[in-house]
Amino acid sequence: MFLVLLKKELFIELRSKELILSMVVFGIAIVLAFSFSSNLSRAVVINYASGMFWITVLFVSALGVHRSFAYEKEYDAFSMLVTAPIDRGLIFLAKWVSGFIYLTLMEILIIFPFFKFLMIDYPSNILIAISTTLLVNLGIMAVANLVSGIAMRSNLSEILLPILFFPLVSPIIIAATKISTGVMLNESYGVWEIWVLIVGSIIIISGLAGYALFDYLVEE
Amino acid sequence: MTNYFQKRINQWSLSVIIILFIINILNIIYNTPMVPDQHWAQKIFYVHVPSAWVGFLSYFIVMISGFMYLTSRDNRWDNIGLAASEIGTFFISLVLITGPIWATPIWGQPWVWEPRLVTTLILFLIYIGYFMIRAYGGYIERMKRNAAALGIVAFINVPIIFLSVQFWSPDIQSHPQVEMTEQPSEILSPFIFSLIVFTMLYTVMIRYRVYVIHLNNGMNEDV
Repeated sequence: MFLVLLKKELFIELRSKELILSMVVFGIAIVLAFSFSSNLSRAVVINYASGMFWITVLFVSALGVHRSFAYEKEYDAFSMLVTAPIDRGLIFLAKWVSGFIYLTLMEILIIFPFFKFLMIDYPSNILIAISTTLLVNLGIMAVANLVSGIAMRSNLSEILLPILFFPLVSPIIIAATKISTGVMLNESYGVWEIWVLIVGSIIIISGLAGYALFDYLVEE
Repeated sequence: MTNYFQKRINQWSLSVIIILFIINILNIIYNTPMVPDQHWAQKIFYVHVPSAWVGFLSYFIVMISGFMYLTSRDNRWDNIGLAASEIGTFFISLVLITGPIWATPIWGQPWVWEPRLVTTLILFLIYIGYFMIRAYGGYIERMKRNAAALGIVAFINVPIIFLSVQFWSPDIQSHPQVEMTEQPSEILSPFIFSLIVFTMLYTVMIRYRVYVIHLNNGMNEDV
């Protein structure tokens, strides 16, 4: 059943291409704004590049996850979805995994302009950079979908989502920035190991909370 | 429904807490020793730490009542959750005000990213969102469920938020009064007294607030 739900999430996007397109354009616009605001000072950019990247991801994920739940609000599709005889926790898992896929796709598309606009070098250990980024994406999307589940059917969902999401995701942003800085500076794993553990804990906590609470959140 | 203050127990509890609170304030001002280098600034600690204790206790109660509401759908748990969140946010605001007041003369600036204060600020922001969910949550039963879920999510994240902020900048100094047991008795005794008085004040406040919310809900249903 999970695969059916995931397929539904991916098919909607495959047909409209609305979400990924808006995420990429928004992401590039933020990178552009960061380039202007840094005055292209190398000292600023080198110290702040990891933070800039994750702030971009944070904004884009808020936009993406809001849009993903907004689809369901249109024509009250969510009511139909929750009346289906399925475990509602699986709806959360499908949204989480699809959000993770969209976010990763968006990052693949903006990573080149990000490094080129800010005139910084790629990390030397690409494999570690990719694997840690995927881990952080999983964490961000777990929190984003949990918060979106809470805020989605309120009257001010588009405002409530970032208000709740940004403080709750702050440990991941701290961890992601520390990990990326460590990877960019070629530091050994031991230096940033604690941050990987923190992201891992958040994935477990938010994943379990989302799976358990979604049943109550989507109830009519 | 009888008036809250018509009950003898409520009159007594309010009178006792008012007297104890005045004694506590006078005790802090006149009986606690002046700590070298800190002078009057140190006295804020007798209000700051009990406020933090009560604030976090209150948010813990929000989590428990959220869990109980989701499993039982008993509105009394939602009322307790709402009362605890409001009073908890009041005390957490006190923490965020008194912390920088203490830090200004001691550390030379009001905000130095001290992990406990940062965790408190993040939690405070989440609870602003909690009140917004309550205000703009839409359909009332759904709003109550969403608020209960957020109360649970907010509190289970506290340890991880604290850990991440602490590791983020380990060189930033922490509170000087970390080990309370190492404090001399002339500091420890008034501190424990203040902690007890604040906890008692909290129980009186939350009982009264739950009563008012219950009354308010009843009036809304009548309309």
